[in-house]
Amino acid sequence: MPNEPAVQMFNVQIDGVWHRFPKGTRVIEACEQVGVFVPRYCYHKMLSSPGNCRMCLIEMGFPRLGPDRKPELGTDGKPIINWMPRPQICCAQDVAEGIAVRTDSPLVKECQRGVMEFLLINHPLDCPICDQAGECRLQEFSVDYGTSQSRFLENKVKKPKAVQVGPRVTLDDERCILCSRCIRFCQEIAHDDVLGFVDRGSHTVLTAHPGKSLDNNYSLNTVDICPVGALTSTDFRFKMRVWFLKETKSICTSCATGCNTVIGTREDVIYRQTPRENDDVNSCWMCDYGRLNYKYLEAEDRLLEPRIRSDGKLVPADWPTAIGQAALHLKQFAASEIAIVASGRMTNEELWLTAQLASSLGVKCIDIVPRRGRGDKILLSKDRNPNTNGVRLILGSRSAPGAKLMAIADAVRSGEIKALVILKENAMHLGLSVEELARLPALIVMNILRNAATEKASVVLPACGFAEKRGSMVNGKGRLQRLNRATRPPGNARDDWEILRDLLQGIDGGDSLHSIEDVFRRIRETVPQFAGLSLSKIGDLGVHILKIEELPATHPSDEEAIEQAIAVQAARRSVRSDLDRAYANPAESITRQAEAQTAPRR
Amino acid sequence: MPNSTTISVPAQLERRMDDAIAHYPREHRRSAAMPLLHLWQEHFGFVSGEASVWIAEKLGLQPINILELVTFYPMFRQHPAGKTHIRVCRTLSCAMAGGLELMENLCTALGIQRPTDGEEMHHPIAVSADGNYSVEFVECLASCHTAPVCMVGEELHEKVNPESAAELLGNRESEAGNQQLQWPPHPIERRLVYKNIGRPSWTTDIDCYLREGGYEQLKQALTLSRDEIVNKVKNSGLRGRGGAGFSCGLKWSFIRPDEKRPVYLICNADESEPGTFKDRYIIHEDPHQLLEGMFISCYALNANTAYIYIRGEFPEGAKILERAIEEARQHNFLGKNILGSGFDVEIYVHRGAGAYICGEETGLIESLEGKRGYPRIKPPYFPAVLGLYMCPTIVNNVETLCNIKHIVAIGGAEYARLGRPNNTGTRVLCVSGDVQRPGYFEIEVGALTMGQLIYQMAGGLRPGRKLKAVIPGGSSAKVLRADERFKLKERQADGSTIEREISIDDIPMDFDSLAAAGSMAGSGGVIVLDDSRDMVWALNNINKFYAHESCGQCTPCREGSLWMQKITDRMLRGGGVVEDPETLKTIGDNIAGRTICAFGEACAWPTQSFVGKFPEEFAGRAHKPLPPPLPPEYTPEELIDKESIPTVPMAHDPGWEKAGAKGTI
Repeated sequence: MPNEPAVQMFNVQIDGVWHRFPKGTRVIEACEQVGVFVPRYCYHKMLSSPGNCRMCLIEMGFPRLGPDRKPELGTDGKPIINWMPRPQICCAQDVAEGIAVRTDSPLVKECQRGVMEFLLINHPLDCPICDQAGECRLQEFSVDYGTSQSRFLENKVKKPKAVQVGPRVTLDDERCILCSRCIRFCQEIAHDDVLGFVDRGSHTVLTAHPGKSLDNNYSLNTVDICPVGALTSTDFRFKMRVWFLKETKSICTSCATGCNTVIGTREDVIYRQTPRENDDVNSCWMCDYGRLNYKYLEAEDRLLEPRIRSDGKLVPADWPTAIGQAALHLKQFAASEIAIVASGRMTNEELWLTAQLASSLGVKCIDIVPRRGRGDKILLSKDRNPNTNGVRLILGSRSAPGAKLMAIADAVRSGEIKALVILKENAMHLGLSVEELARLPALIVMNILRNAATEKASVVLPACGFAEKRGSMVNGKGRLQRLNRATRPPGNARDDWEILRDLLQGIDGGDSLHSIEDVFRRIRETVPQFAGLSLSKIGDLGVHILKIEELPATHPSDEEAIEQAIAVQAARRSVRSDLDRAYANPAESITRQAEAQTAPRR
Repeated sequence: MPNSTTISVPAQLERRMDDAIAHYPREHRRSAAMPLLHLWQEHFGFVSGEASVWIAEKLGLQPINILELVTFYPMFRQHPAGKTHIRVCRTLSCAMAGGLELMENLCTALGIQRPTDGEEMHHPIAVSADGNYSVEFVECLASCHTAPVCMVGEELHEKVNPESAAELLGNRESEAGNQQLQWPPHPIERRLVYKNIGRPSWTTDIDCYLREGGYEQLKQALTLSRDEIVNKVKNSGLRGRGGAGFSCGLKWSFIRPDEKRPVYLICNADESEPGTFKDRYIIHEDPHQLLEGMFISCYALNANTAYIYIRGEFPEGAKILERAIEEARQHNFLGKNILGSGFDVEIYVHRGAGAYICGEETGLIESLEGKRGYPRIKPPYFPAVLGLYMCPTIVNNVETLCNIKHIVAIGGAEYARLGRPNNTGTRVLCVSGDVQRPGYFEIEVGALTMGQLIYQMAGGLRPGRKLKAVIPGGSSAKVLRADERFKLKERQADGSTIEREISIDDIPMDFDSLAAAGSMAGSGGVIVLDDSRDMVWALNNINKFYAHESCGQCTPCREGSLWMQKITDRMLRGGGVVEDPETLKTIGDNIAGRTICAFGEACAWPTQSFVGKFPEEFAGRAHKPLPPPLPPEYTPEELIDKESIPTVPMAHDPGWEKAGAKGTI
């Protein structure tokens, strides 16, 4: 890029081939960039380099300098290399002019064999019962760089097994290779210096101080970066062999950060969520709360069938009937008698269809439920809606998302509003009581879980959770990212955008939208920030479409209204059922999980 | 102060802790962790779980940071010891002189059951039933020439007769202070640094030192420019006396004259290389010489703060140094504007706690920063660039720093005339093991041969014994075999070199000759083994030392050091298999040169050289065939007595039957 200051480039020889790398590149990274993988355990590019595993030993050399202090050139016109007699680690060394490395020489292979042998002598050979099997670097590198025979005839060092080092993390110290990644992660990323090594030499053991526990909201990242089976996820442990998992790239929808994820599933069951590297969003990490916040998708309270109210009772119906019923309800009322409460958890596509629905009905009364929690300075945003920015862009309201919610609730109470459409939210978040909801002539609900409000609805439309559908969202920093379908929705639940499209067609018979791509294309035509993009162009890592300064500032009076809406939610929380609560405020649910698994600490 | 624990810390103890904290920069209070742990243990007898919490809170740390230290440094104990705690040295020279029997007899006298090998790691201390006594094996106490030694409480007891071990327990006072004076010096000696060591009328107080012309070189140095002093040191050719033999002047020249960050000088007084005890006497008998050397060095390096990192097993030495520092302060050799020069300098004593690895300079720096003594990777953490608190730091050995005073006294060029080219000056050699007069001898470097050292100075071997092997530079140096022939290049007067084949007796005791002979001058600790010694046993003793002292940070040394010990353990128990010597050697090969610090070499070289040079002894203990492959978690205890191992019949396994397998593997 012409405008950026020129970065100094260095010539580096890797396995006999010269390459150029910018200053500051680690040699181990430089090798990787040109397709030469150097095995490593302790090195992690987001953490400091202690150089302790010695797996990345390579041969290193520098140009031989002539009497004029200039590199002497060989017959090929390239510098002649003086090789250092000892192998060097390449994880802590930056590239320098003329530096040369050999990653596949006999000496290097001998070093790798030696280190592998050392790592394995005291490591239990319990792969058949180890959860890491299949994604274990010790297993992989043992095959790639080790030997098949063990020369070790002695007793192995005994260490603690199955230690609950935190509410969500289980530790097997015998498997630990003491690479210290987890300790450094806790110090450098999570800012919770809770893990450490005790004892010495081969007897060294990873532990937390008695009475302390690895309970920070980032604890499960230590499981991800543990190269062996020492730290395992208590949640995922023994549930599924990793090689059976189908991996779907998606994003976390538990807050406005939108951490990039991989969803691991098998036969439409989610087994785990792990962070996916994206330096513009979440680096290599995600918080435990977001990671574990998928269980509600398998809750017993899932809405599985469309239902309509008939003779005062909710009865199952097929989709055309349910949609038709909903459209019928809405067409009965004047535009001023209808309100739509959408969700900041809906995708852009769903929001666009919602906006279409509103405009075809002429409805002005539309807003989302604001959702806030305590943010940290790491990843967790205080805005717990993943797509507040999508709401801003697509619903195009003048006030901040959530600011009109209390006014809508008041209008329902006063009877001004006669039909309420609740999309992916619990109507009780508005502060309305069951009785008040029951009095509404029409209550159309599209949701995932059953709750007190769905039971008072005129029409219930069962929809999809974040892992069951495609679509896009705009995160808190204005980055457009993609959700992908990892599992099929259960029962007769349907993709949200299809439900909304059908409802829209039921109301105005409008033009046909056959795919979600069609919807995105329509957004692109109406919302300038989406210009030139498509779902596929968003890619796995997303596209920045908003600068922070482009985000409209929230008006103080909006802020007041939003705070009020959140206060109302908080007041309601005490009367809601557990599962309802889990969905409405997952942050709380994870804290409760954590509390249930550790001794009382307060 | 800290209040999340219920323990009550007396105000006086807390005041002493606050004093200790003041020894370190405000933003590096963590450095005070070890001093606080020492104070805590002195007061409470042991470091409880609450101590970690309390001290962590006091220093603004997490409890795990303190627990990491308590479990790294063996001198900190998590359980109470007896009223009298006895630490018996188990390292080579003491073990050869009966240290192991000493422990056995002590245990018998006290009715103490020592922990087994497996338990020892976690519970090294065994307490007598009445709680009055406790015993513990410790690694080298740096008094190898007076082996076997032990520490009763804080007092060193030398040349303890294992047969009369019980006497240690009774009248302790009469036994105390029985340090062996070695005076007068041997006529071949050239005493410079050791001029006053062992002198009958010599004391450690500053008046004695001043009477003999002490601190004159400091006054002289303060009239010189810093460059002049650094140049003197460069010209002197002084090589570090700690073990690596690195040029001191070159090391000093890494400090940039225009350095903006604070510069630190650290005196490495963590003397713990088995076979070495030279620094012990400087510290205990001539502390002001060391301080003077340090003041001059601080001035030359523009370092306003210096630390003496003294090994924890020298409690008396630490007190002597602290007293000497106070005396020096009263004379304004230390403090603000010393002797009106405008230069400020402070020296603090920082006690280690039983970790050999803290003798490695970057491990020492980490330890001084209040962490586990994990050596740092180089690059990038060269101490002269990124040392203590990420500031430029020079770490020099005690003897090296003393030499600075003498270089200033006689001039660099004159100093360089002592010894041999590239091996200048004098150095103190420590002789221990199977000689009649073990002890310390200061010689001009290379001015005498191994033979002269052993036979003339150290009195030769015991009657009827023949020399078998010599470890010439501390236990990490490669062993030399008595009947080996060594090829050494010798420079002639006309500049040409000729190769000469010599015997072990003719090897000159200098850096280059010992390196050429395939070993090293190391720390100057010469351990002599006679023909009564079992080399497998000797190697096993050394293996144990390194397995115990490996910090455990990097893989090859952590795993390899213990593996080697386990193999020699098994060989001694009679379970050696034919492959063992080769396995031992390749383990050494896989460690040396592949670790973060030189400990890798230190633990590999003995194994490589013992196995390589005494193949007949190792083969003699490795005659069993390799056992058949074992089930992964099988414990091969039976290997020891039986030639074959019965295993669970596998015939019921249909897979095995199909494959035609027999009933056993």
